[in-house]
Amino acid sequence: MDPFSSPPPSGSGLGVSNEVMMGQVKQQLAQAYAEEFFGTVRDKCFSKCVTKPSSSLSGGESSCISRCVERYIEATGIISRAVISSLPR
Amino acid sequence: MLVQDAEARSPLPGSPHRSGSSGRGCYCFFDQEKQKAVLNELVGKLTDVCWDKCITSTPGSKLSSSESSCLTYCAQRFLETSSLILRRFQNLQ
Repeated sequence: MDPFSSPPPSGSGLGVSNEVMMGQVKQQLAQAYAEEFFGTVRDKCFSKCVTKPSSSLSGGESSCISRCVERYIEATGIISRAVISSLPR
Repeated sequence: MLVQDAEARSPLPGSPHRSGSSGRGCYCFFDQEKQKAVLNELVGKLTDVCWDKCITSTPGSKLSSSESSCLTYCAQRFLETSSLILRRFQNLQ
């Protein structure tokens, strides 16, 4: 998670509540991102790995799901690097 | 995974930015967070789309080099497509 860096010291009495507010905004954004990411990975890996639902998840299905999660995280890194290097300067 | 701050600077919202590098009254914190959120959303959407195009078989213990290249190409071509369409729209006006 993003290490929270404190803003420069402020003479204003509002300093503390602004820090707290910024921290909360960052946390909420990170939370929203994590929830969406979770949902996407769940949907993708369920489609890939559980092709014929049965009365329980088989060992094969479970390990497929674990691998799928890791691969999806890897894919996110690849895409992220490709997007960032394509950004205009 | 998340796009991180490039710098530590987060001026207090509502207070004018003294260092002058942005040259405007500063809601820098919100601008930065918004930019990061936009980028994260783009990355999320692209990974979704490109995963479907590039990972066609059951996930293995690592991504093959053709899968990795496909993902990179997919992101690049998507962004190019986006610019191309934008230029077409601009020409229509």
